[in-house]
This record gives sequence, structure tokens and C-alpha cells, in this order.
Amino acid sequence: MTEPKNLNFAEAIQQGLHQALSLSDDVFVFGQIVDNISGVFHTTTGLSDEFTNDRVFDTPVAESAMTGVALGAALVGMRPVLIHQRLDFMLYSMDQIVNWGALWRYKSGGKSGVPFTIRAVVGKGWGQGPQHSKSLQSWFAHVPGLKVAMPSTPYDAKGLLMSSIFGEDPTIIIEGRPLFTMSGIVPQEPYRVPFGKGVIRRSGKDVTVVALGYMVPLAMKSADILAEQGIYAEVIDPRTVAPLDEEIILQSVRKTGRLVIVDPAWKSFGVSAEIGAMVSEQAYSSLKGPIQRVAFPDGHAPTSVALEQLYYPDENHITKAVLASLQPEG
Amino acid sequence: MATKFETQNQDRGKVISSTRGIKSSTLIDLYYSMLRIRRVQEALIDEYHPADEMRCPVHFCVGQEAPPVGTCLHLEKGDYVFSGHRSHGYYLGKSGSLQGLFAELYGKSTGTNNGKAGHQEISDENVNFYSGTILVGMLAIAAGAALGFQMRGEKKVAVTIFGDGGADQGIVYESLNFAALKKLPMLFICENNGYSTYSRQEKRQGLCDLSGRARAFGVRARRLDGNDVVSVYRAAGQAIARARRGEGPTLLELDTYRWCGHVGPENDDHLEYRSSEELQEWMDRCPIVALEAALQDKHILGSALMADMEHRISEEIAGAFEFAKSSPFPRPDALLTDVFAERDWNDVVPVREYPETDYDYSQPESIPGPY
Repeated sequence: MTEPKNLNFAEAIQQGLHQALSLSDDVFVFGQIVDNISGVFHTTTGLSDEFTNDRVFDTPVAESAMTGVALGAALVGMRPVLIHQRLDFMLYSMDQIVNWGALWRYKSGGKSGVPFTIRAVVGKGWGQGPQHSKSLQSWFAHVPGLKVAMPSTPYDAKGLLMSSIFGEDPTIIIEGRPLFTMSGIVPQEPYRVPFGKGVIRRSGKDVTVVALGYMVPLAMKSADILAEQGIYAEVIDPRTVAPLDEEIILQSVRKTGRLVIVDPAWKSFGVSAEIGAMVSEQAYSSLKGPIQRVAFPDGHAPTSVALEQLYYPDENHITKAVLASLQPEG
Repeated sequence: MATKFETQNQDRGKVISSTRGIKSSTLIDLYYSMLRIRRVQEALIDEYHPADEMRCPVHFCVGQEAPPVGTCLHLEKGDYVFSGHRSHGYYLGKSGSLQGLFAELYGKSTGTNNGKAGHQEISDENVNFYSGTILVGMLAIAAGAALGFQMRGEKKVAVTIFGDGGADQGIVYESLNFAALKKLPMLFICENNGYSTYSRQEKRQGLCDLSGRARAFGVRARRLDGNDVVSVYRAAGQAIARARRGEGPTLLELDTYRWCGHVGPENDDHLEYRSSEELQEWMDRCPIVALEAALQDKHILGSALMADMEHRISEEIAGAFEFAKSSPFPRPDALLTDVFAERDWNDVVPVREYPETDYDYSQPESIPGPY
């Protein structure tokens, strides 16, 4: 076992793909311009050189068919990884994902499955705008049969990717671009991070803060600010949306009695509503006050930098929400 | 067993262009397979109402027996077939379990999909047959299977079927393009029966040339009489052999006709989307009667052999009904099974627990450049 190294989020994904390709000939990586030296934000750099264009290849601009191809290849025993540079583009493939992939195992009576992995990158900032910034974890998590991961650290990015590739269910990994140059310790050998198992990033007794994806670092920054005020937040990173580690959230709420949910997506009808409802159902008597949510407003991502700054919540919004959650009732 | 579909003034012998060079045993197999499909469809149609125990929509393929039979006789077990909703001909052509089919229509746990799919997504993994009703979604999945065969160096073929209705969908052209680009070992069968539900082809397509569309994407294509099972057999054989040799995909546009309503055992002519004359013209070109005439002319299909075939088929069908009716329904706890795999891991990569790290959460976010 070699020493773990400091890698950034993109490098960790690249290493995960590299090791998956090395571990099994059944793995292949495809998507638009994955073979270019730009490497899909440096996540596929060098792979097509080493594994040739038979196993790492560019595709036509046909997201729907390429998702079907991932499905069919998985059906016959391959382990495909399909990459979308922007999650928004993969909406062409909703039919394949929802009408075929998600229900394949069920409708076959459990006799066949289609274990494909889709990596979908979500943009933020620099005027990406409404067609290049959507994060739809709630859509995919809502459909039975799909697994959805949202790693926040390089360690989890590599581990969840390997779990997806060598797992047995169709999986969508949502990767927030703000994380791509952020670094962390990554073991150099292959490893998997299990789905449905969250992590306590920081222990605390006063309030439970559940955060996803690139909101996790912001939640941690907020926790620092709050600690200076003598308020100790417990920051939980579920790491996967479907399946969701309900138990880790419930245990924390039973301890703190307060809950703030931080979801990098529109506020209404999303993951924050799901977590809130789940906690109300299962830990109602522990709650000392209403649940607070920090998310995007229910509007589209603006391109003008002046509006963009208003659109995306940061650690100050999270801090405000925590303070609101601590207000006495009534 | 009553034959529901009477033909009159049939063009005896004219539908089959030529049987030259085809072995008698093959011709008999083609006939038997079509007859079996027809009798199965008739039996299901007869039994469907008023018993109402097959509680799912069924799209019968009466009249369209030649394409599946002419194609599937060339296929090995390891080849995959991906069909749309008019699937029974291909299911049976690929040697799908008859008992499994019937039990699935009855929604029983012994159905080939454990009662979870009914007719509309019927599959039999033992013979690598899959189907589904979202129009032509299967084509891209078939391309993926073919890509998998190609990557593994297997000489298998993926066959996929769609109709003139499905031909309106964009994914057809994405799939044809990808198949041509990668020279995938595929056969695309386009059963052109002139209708998508109640909508004529001419109402939906600016240029009615489906095989021409395939050629535009670089896929070799031919258009044939889809009721001439011998022509279908020849063309499919050539296409499948090409695919196995690594020479790429082929599309066969097969002109044929659906005798029943779009869905269900009823006749839907009261919806007045097609004329009874048109239907009668096609019934007079029945693929089975046509081959029967040709084989009788060659003196290889006598009445004794035909009676034996009918007897065997009828016994098989009776057994399948018995099996289906006496099988149990799925248990209540089957409601939520098989949404996910039971085991979500294998031994390729170890599961590690999260280690303690000093992740620096104060790192700045990446800001994308223009790209």
C-alpha cells in the first residue's frame, strides 16, 4: 500500500477512471470529447492515449443514443462510464434513463440489470447561465432504480466513482465544478466508498447542518463562523442522495433538535424538502423548532455577475439559517 | 382450433418469389415457425375476452409472422434481439419460453418476468430476448449490446426491430449513425406496416423512404416484401453474416401489414383509419398461406405433416394455458423487490471506510473560465 497523496477533485476522478480501466477490460469511458487533451475539466486527461480509442472514445453529439448504448453495453456485461460535460445536456437522455435504465431490473423480474455509470458535471459561475448550471439530483433520486451520488471531496469522488463502476445499479454521479481544483488526501490504491453511508464532517451539539456537494465546504466555513459565536454545528455530508443515509441525519437531529438543510439546487420540490419531510416523519419529537433550508431561489441562474452573486448562497446564508433555526418557537 | 382469419382469392404462390437453393428442411422450419406464431396469437385472442385474466395490453402480430421467422432462424442463442411492442413473433422466433410468455400475460409469478412486466416489456434472458414499448428506445440499447460484442471480440449480432411509426423518432437516426460509425454487428429490421396506431405513414413523413434514410447515414439498406418469408430469410441471412464478419450494420425495410387492431384482440376498424379493402388485400397475401402453397407445389408439405404440426402446436398451447392458469400470482412482498440489485458490490475493488483527513475546507472554489 503506497502513501496517500494530495490530489484535487479532478485528479482523483482521473485516477479512479484510470484504475477502473486497468482493473477490468469490461470498463470503458465515453462521452463528447473525452479523448481531447482538455480532458473534460482534466478528469480524463491521458486516458485515451493509454487505453486507446477502443476503450476511451469520443461520441457523436447524441446524448440520448449514447445513454442507450451505455445501457446496452452494460446489459451484455460491460461496465460503461458515460460522461456529460454539463448535466443540462444529459436531459436529452431522460427517456433512456427513466423509461429504460431505472426500471430495467424491476421489469425483468430481477433477472437482468444495466449497471452503467453516468458522470454529470454541474456548472456554477462565470455566467454559465440557466442552460449550463442545472443540478437535478432531486429528479434522478425521485425515480426508483437510480442511484445518485454527490461527492464533495476528492476522496469521495474517486471512491464513489469506483463504487458506481463496479456496482450493479445504474448510477448518476453529480459533480459540482467549483470542487474541481480543491485538494484533499486520496489513497493511491483502488477503493470504494459505499452508497447510502454519509459522513459527519464536523461534530457539534447545537444544530445539524446537512449539506451536499460543493455546499459542504461552505457549510464548514459557516460552522467556523458559528463556533466563534459559541454555536457548534454538526455538519453532515450524506455523499449520496439515493440511497440516502437517513440514520446518520436522524441520530444527529435527535441530539441537536435543530436542522438546516443546504442543497445546491432549487429550493422547492427538491432534496431539501425530502430530507425535511423524512426528519419530520421519523424524529418529530426531537425537533425543537422548524427546519430551515438553504438553496437556490426558485428562478433560473442569471448570467450577469451582479445577479449571479445574489443567486448562489454562501456561508453567510448558511450562518443566517442556523441562527434562524435556533430562534425560540413562537 | 378455429382460424379467425380467413383469406379469400389468395395469390397462391405469388407472394413467395422463389424457394430455389433453400433446403426443404429449412422451408419446413420457416412454415412451422410462422404457423406456431399464428396459432399462439389466435389462441390468446380467443381466450382474452371475456375471461379477462390476461390483464395487460397486448399487441398481436397476426399477419406479420414472416419478418421474425425469416430473421430468427439465422440467430444463435448468444445473439440478442431487442424488439418493440409487437413482440410475440420475435419472442417465439428467439425460442422464448411459451409457458413463460403465457404466465407473464396472466401476471403470474412464473411468468418470464416474474409477473412484473406483462406483455409490454416481456423478456427472456435465457434466450437474450428483450422488448419494451417506448418507441425505438431499444435501437440505441441494441447498439450498445453490439458495441459490447465488438469490444470483446465476440462474433455475436444484435437484432433490433422497429416500425414506420418508430421511424419518426430521432433516436433512430442517432443509432443508425453510431452503428455505421463503429461498424457495429447489427441488423435493423423496419417492419413497415404503413401505420403508427391509427396514423398512416403518408400523414407523418415528408418522404416515405425508410431504407433511404438508413443509407443516408451509411447503413446498407434494402426494401423487401415482408410477407415473403423466403426473401426475408435470404436477406436477413446475408445481413447477419456480414455483421458477424465485422462488415457493419444493415437495415431491412420489410413491407407487411397488421391484421388485428393496434392493440388488443378486438378489431379497431370502427375507428375508420383504414379500409376493409386494404385489409382484405393484405390478408390475401397471408405469409403462411403463401408459403403453404409454394411448399405444396414442391410436394414437401402434405396434409399429414400439416396435421401433425397443428397437433403439436395445439398441445403446446394447451399446456401453456394450463401452466399459466394454475400458476400463483406474485406474493405481496414482491411489490418492491428488484428495484435495485440485492448485492451492490463485487470483489473487484475493496470497500474502504472513510479515513481521518485534514481536508482544508477553506480552499477557494474553482471559477470556470469561458468554457
